[in-house]
Amino acid sequence: MGKIDFLLHESALGYAIFKVVHQQDTVGLHLKEVQQAGQDLAKFGKMVQLVNFAPWRNAADALENINLISEGILPDYLKSDLELNLPQAKKSKIVLGVADKNLAGSIKAEFPSVECETGDTSEVVADLLRGVRLHAAKLLKGLEEGDVERAQLGLGHAYSRGKVKFNVHKNDNHII
Amino acid sequence: GGGGARGGAKAIVEPHRHEGVFVSRGKEDHLLTRSSAPGIEVYGEKRITVDNSEKGEDGAPVTTKVEYRVWNPFRSKLAAGIIGGIDNIYMGPGKKVLYLGAASGTSVSHVADIVGSTGNVYAVEFSHRSGRDLVNMAQNRTNVIPIVEDARHPMRYRMLVPMVDCIFADVAQPDQARIVALNAHMFLKIGGGVVISIKANCIDSTAAPEAVFAQEVQKLRAERIKPQEQLTLEPFERDHCIVIGQYQEAK
Repeated sequence: MGKIDFLLHESALGYAIFKVVHQQDTVGLHLKEVQQAGQDLAKFGKMVQLVNFAPWRNAADALENINLISEGILPDYLKSDLELNLPQAKKSKIVLGVADKNLAGSIKAEFPSVECETGDTSEVVADLLRGVRLHAAKLLKGLEEGDVERAQLGLGHAYSRGKVKFNVHKNDNHII
Repeated sequence: GGGGARGGAKAIVEPHRHEGVFVSRGKEDHLLTRSSAPGIEVYGEKRITVDNSEKGEDGAPVTTKVEYRVWNPFRSKLAAGIIGGIDNIYMGPGKKVLYLGAASGTSVSHVADIVGSTGNVYAVEFSHRSGRDLVNMAQNRTNVIPIVEDARHPMRYRMLVPMVDCIFADVAQPDQARIVALNAHMFLKIGGGVVISIKANCIDSTAAPEAVFAQEVQKLRAERIKPQEQLTLEPFERDHCIVIGQYQEAK
């Protein structure tokens, strides 16, 4: 299992890129202490470091991005965010931890110097992304109490309304 | 509203063993939740208003009106489970609950009452027809985040859901255990609770219900969900059970 250099966290507020500064080796991954470190912000905060947080410019921007991300397509906003914040290494590839394998494919197609690991291919990535999700409100700098929940509420309504509205069939699609 | 359950000033409301759940004592007992959107009924349920006197800042008694909504165990499997005596529902004020199979949001509205203004319910429903009702219900309850999406693909809604304290599932699909596991691995805190309603003939209509339940519990165990309780929902539902488990660290 190789080293994970960076992590991508997609949230209701925007994209966040983290650098993995201290990675537990896979052998120790399933030790109780290691998993507990993921739950403890003081310890987890030493394992990852925020490189960049790119918030949405407006609500329409957020909706457009979640619609693409949910389909595994790389949005332009994320593409430029990765271009700006990932080192363009020529010799060795950098490894980015991504949640979704479809998005990982889209990123690899666009960035030849980036190798992707997902939660499916690497337990380290799965656990690190769980840690980021758990501590997101604290790791993303400059947020106030309740910001994450407010953003989830607004985007949840927008996303769900879009789903309900754009379905041309009045009835349910039955899976048979 | 109106009708039988309305006891007016005579109704006595007591807190239930589970924080955030209440019981009214009268001619008949009812399970209640404290309405987080007073004055609004969600699905024609009965509402009870009682006077609540508390000591104000200056020591003088202050009377406020508190509205509760009757929670019908014949319409909500979680309510049936609570009446049946579940020991731990993993839901309470301030908790975050991922609710899979939210349907029109009738039960979700009671869970939203339980977690209150400091908690959140992330309500996932795939059917667009039900989803419409769910979105409308959520307009009056700002702690409910409606998610019209397929619970089989938690990746699609990962931007909307944080790590949660509890996953409740009532998806009535043959691969329900797998659906719950996928969501737990992404969103459930270590030590968090899984509460699943299992309808035997949705999983396998040819096997005996007990055999189906045992098989589902085995599937959960394999996904690091340690079974803690199992109870049938008789007399409210036939061949249904609720299983409660706790999400474990990987070994």
